[in-house]
Amino acid sequence: MTTTTTPIDVDRLGPVAAGPVIRWLSGRALRRMRRLPSLFVPVILMPLFFVVAFTGSFDGVTRLDGFPTDELVNWIAAYSMLQGATMAGVGSAGVIATDLENGFLDRLLASPVPRMAILLGPLAYAATRALIPTTLVLLVAAAQGADMPGGPMGIVLVYAGTVGTSMVIGSLGLAVVLRIRRYQAISIVQMGAFLILFPSIGQVPLGLLTGWMSTAARVNPTTNVLRMTRQGFIGEVSWADTWPGLVVIAVGTVVFLTWARRELDRLAG
Amino acid sequence: MAESSSLVVRPTGEQARRGRFTVALEQIWVLTRRSVLATWRNPGSWVPGLVFPLGISAIYTAQFARAISLPGFPEVDSFLEFILPASVMQSIAFGSTNAGTDLAKDIETGFFDRLIASPVARQSILVGRIAGSAVFAALQAAVLVVVFVIFGAGMASGPAGALAVVLVATLLSVALGGFGIALGLRTGNQEATQSTFPLVFVLIFVSSAFFPTTLMRGWYRQVAEVNPFSLIIDPTRRLVIEDWSWADLGQAAGVSVAIAVVSLGLSYRQYLWRLRAT
Repeated sequence: MTTTTTPIDVDRLGPVAAGPVIRWLSGRALRRMRRLPSLFVPVILMPLFFVVAFTGSFDGVTRLDGFPTDELVNWIAAYSMLQGATMAGVGSAGVIATDLENGFLDRLLASPVPRMAILLGPLAYAATRALIPTTLVLLVAAAQGADMPGGPMGIVLVYAGTVGTSMVIGSLGLAVVLRIRRYQAISIVQMGAFLILFPSIGQVPLGLLTGWMSTAARVNPTTNVLRMTRQGFIGEVSWADTWPGLVVIAVGTVVFLTWARRELDRLAG
Repeated sequence: MAESSSLVVRPTGEQARRGRFTVALEQIWVLTRRSVLATWRNPGSWVPGLVFPLGISAIYTAQFARAISLPGFPEVDSFLEFILPASVMQSIAFGSTNAGTDLAKDIETGFFDRLIASPVARQSILVGRIAGSAVFAALQAAVLVVVFVIFGAGMASGPAGALAVVLVATLLSVALGGFGIALGLRTGNQEATQSTFPLVFVLIFVSSAFFPTTLMRGWYRQVAEVNPFSLIIDPTRRLVIEDWSWADLGQAAGVSVAIAVVSLGLSYRQYLWRLRAT
């Protein structure tokens, strides 16, 4: 008697099948991060260093006419958080690159696992990882005298901005690593991510920027995300400062995740 | 006794004829050239050290263009002039771990053991490595100064000031490289040596590198004012934005040499330890 097996279209299994895989993959990545201090320490220390160093070094710029706050920490905190979130996003690229090099990704692709779950697992890890620097910077900023006139909604938007940023950068990282298929691709993701982050309103408001920086910051989508994340530190929360950031996060995640999915399908043959 | 005897290399007939000092100099030259070429052939180790400080300078110059009008800010034509010495020192700091990581690589690959087994003066190995990174640092600093001048940064003390910046950068590379070499010798591990980079990054940030300490506040200002990087960068900056001053050159070079004495002493101790362990 012979038995025939019908290939399962795992992507048709839907979220019921994907959920546990995403949880397992993100949990595995988080456990790996906990075991490797070289991964864990920069995630915590660098954003904290940024908020302290930027606030300390450039404190004098708040004396410029037109600077919207007297305490630089109100301006810098969101920028430091987004840097932490960017690192978290790059971390998801690190996960897939490691799995690619050690052959685990091939085994995942050969197993009956929804393809999207293979991508969403590292993204869930990035989003969870982004919560750590966001919370720590929030606490340090509060200790440094940061205000939150935006109230609880301001804090919600802080988390929305950082988790969203980690998803966008994470999706981009997955796509680039799956395209290049080498661990070294992470450096490209890292460099690219910070090149997007720097020419923005990270340290100085748009009105005080000059020359090419003013133009770059105006068209840089990061400016919208920063505006959304930062608004609670500066004043009341407004929809006008919120929706452009949400659009950037949604569009960025969908576009880069679609690209990553296409690269994953190409890899699977 | 054991330590000093481990450093003695009996000269071969040819070496004895030419004199031990001449032979040591030749060996240093060969090892220095090897170090420079190895760095040059590995752009990954020096390109970021050029690109990153230039990128940061471009961004900060555009971001803080209006800050130069703040009371307490040194008199400069542009932020680019203010940040020139900081960018050069930052570039040097980027490459500071290279000498250590290269040495650690030699230990990992066994090349260090083969050098020790060969009739090479023990001191030449260490001096060659340090000299190599110093030569590369001088070239890197010179390139950066030229790029800054091309983009409009003035040099108030003229070509002598430019040379002074390169000299201070070279001394600083020896000073910082000494720590990297000490760690490379101790651990024999590239990754461990490379991991010290964030420390240098933090030190240079908490200084007067990117903004004047007069515009800082509280504990941060106090730390920045006594940070050795500030003690080097401030007089170097005065050479760029003010007139020539031997006192400024003396301070910048003197602090760098003082740090170099400590770091090279440390690396020599680790070198002796490594020789005993090999």
